Amino acid sequence: MKKADAVFGFISLGLSFWLMIEASRFDYMTEFAAGPGFMPFWLGVALGLLALFLIWDAFRRKGGKKDELDKERGLPDRKALIRVGLILLMIVGLTLVMQYLGFALAVVLFVILILFFLEGYGIGKSTFYGIVFSAFIFLVFQYWLEVQLPKGYFGF
Amino acid sequence: MDMFHNLMQGFATVISPYNLWVAAVGCFFGTIVGILPGLGPSTTIAILLPLTFSMNSTSAMIMLTCIYYGSKYGGSITSILINVPGEGASVVTCFDGYQMARQGRGGAALGVSTIGSFIAGIAGTFGLIFICEPLADLCLKFGPAEYFSLIVMGMLTIVFVGGKSIAKSLISGILGLALGCVGADIVRGAPRFVYGIPELMGGIDFVPVVMGLFGIGEVLVSAEERMKVQPLNVKFADLWPTLADIVQSKWAIMRGTLIGFGIGALPGAGSTIASFISYGVEKSIAKDPSRFGKGAIEGVAAPESANNSACSGAFVPLLSLGIPGSSSTAILLGALVLYGLKPGPMLFQTSSAFVWALMASMFIGNIMLLIMNLPLVPFFAASLRIPYSLLYPAITLISVVGAYSMNNSAFGVWVMIIFGIFGYLMKKYDIPAAPLVIALVLGPLMEEHLYQALNLSHGNVAVFITRPISATLLALSALMAILVTLKTVKEKRAVIESEDDA
Repeated sequence: MKKADAVFGFISLGLSFWLMIEASRFDYMTEFAAGPGFMPFWLGVALGLLALFLIWDAFRRKGGKKDELDKERGLPDRKALIRVGLILLMIVGLTLVMQYLGFALAVVLFVILILFFLEGYGIGKSTFYGIVFSAFIFLVFQYWLEVQLPKGYFGF
Repeated sequence: MDMFHNLMQGFATVISPYNLWVAAVGCFFGTIVGILPGLGPSTTIAILLPLTFSMNSTSAMIMLTCIYYGSKYGGSITSILINVPGEGASVVTCFDGYQMARQGRGGAALGVSTIGSFIAGIAGTFGLIFICEPLADLCLKFGPAEYFSLIVMGMLTIVFVGGKSIAKSLISGILGLALGCVGADIVRGAPRFVYGIPELMGGIDFVPVVMGLFGIGEVLVSAEERMKVQPLNVKFADLWPTLADIVQSKWAIMRGTLIGFGIGALPGAGSTIASFISYGVEKSIAKDPSRFGKGAIEGVAAPESANNSACSGAFVPLLSLGIPGSSSTAILLGALVLYGLKPGPMLFQTSSAFVWALMASMFIGNIMLLIMNLPLVPFFAASLRIPYSLLYPAITLISVVGAYSMNNSAFGVWVMIIFGIFGYLMKKYDIPAAPLVIALVLGPLMEEHLYQALNLSHGNVAVFITRPISATLLALSALMAILVTLKTVKEKRAVIESEDDA
């Protein structure tokens, strides 16, 4: 966690500089009150100080028992990371595809891909679950709750 | 008398067939999602939020409140049957609940937990009714400076009390405040951090953020490990606790209820601390403390009661001050704003019917949960057998629907995906999401009050320390900060010394 804390600290430090720079583009004060740049500026300052503390703390700390413990639940192994990446990729894919194919079809495809490729289900079972999921979401959200779902070229 | 009259009117609203149906659906889905391992009340409320989109504000909040209570009831089932707490507050229940289940007394543990939760929920709601309105009336005297200081205190309490690392909690809160700055600024309405994206002019929508942080974040974390759970079996016949069990737990339930409500009503404290304290109290006053951790029924009754009455207590700062005490109540606060209600002391003046209906629904919700939970526990427990490989696509799809349907645009889904990655990283690196969510909701209000206070005082910053209530609130925040910092420094020193010795 020591390394992770340092990385998080540096990212926060970068964000704090960005906040302060962006805040400088707005008025700091108006005639009587705080301007639009006031709050972001001080948020940037506070973030920067906390980030410096986190970095200092990470470098000062020795790799004790706590770090060993944290390491165990820290970064995932390569296989797990690929799994996370693939799921994320499929959610991105679903978001892109649903606008063209419509939500109903996109859901069927999404579930088939997840179950067939990631979870090792057979194609028949994956398709069955894809259709069940799609029908369930359509019935609950579109018909019962009247929530608008994306419609594609096929009109559903 | 007014209170009684208002409450009766609240009941009249809630017992309409539609609202009863909404409450029942909320209780059912809240319990069933809350049971799923790893899904606490925050995640449950976040992913079920879309169910309320087509409802009016009263029905929507009734459903969300019932989901909240249902997820608390559901969380205890997971803790007792599979030793996996859905949230911090259920950790203590595992100590004795799981041991009881292993000894073949899982039914008694679940029964006592349900009865304790019910008594605590009802008593807590009475407490809420008696405290909330007078407190809101008192706070009507607050001006912008007092509000600003109150929000500062509320947010600092959550940071100092809730997280493991204060620095990380503070950073999480600051990021939430920064996100709250996105959109048209309150001073001139000029775009701030918008970068030409028209969807950002109204600010970052709260729904995609919570769905990403809690829903997608949870999916990604769970995706790493192929979760397999093996719940212990509970037979219907074993479900009812014996009379001896109830007699043995009655005082534990009472004490848990009182402790839970008192602690839950403090902004930032919440059910986790309440359940741990009530467990500690029971253990310390027990004739034979060695029974605890080995299946003592009081070890289930007290924390579960505390957990549930803390839920009612958490509504005190939420409804009377507009300050959430936890990430779950922060989501409820966000939902209040989403449905056009203005949280804070004025809520009792402007939306009195709504507030009383909400409080009445808590009684109805708890009764429904008691009726549902006792006979249906074996059914709910069976849902633990649904493979996680089928659950996470479902969670993802419901989250996508929720994020999309906010504005009928894919933009919300992209925001949700980005915050899903944030949520994943935050969980991996132990950065609490609660301060971010609370700050995102309260940030714009805080800035508005800051702006108004300075405007009224002609730019004099001293307004925050010259007004007595504001000064007291800030002094309390400073005192809390000093005490917590001293404690942290002491702990760090101890760690360094032990490392040097090693």
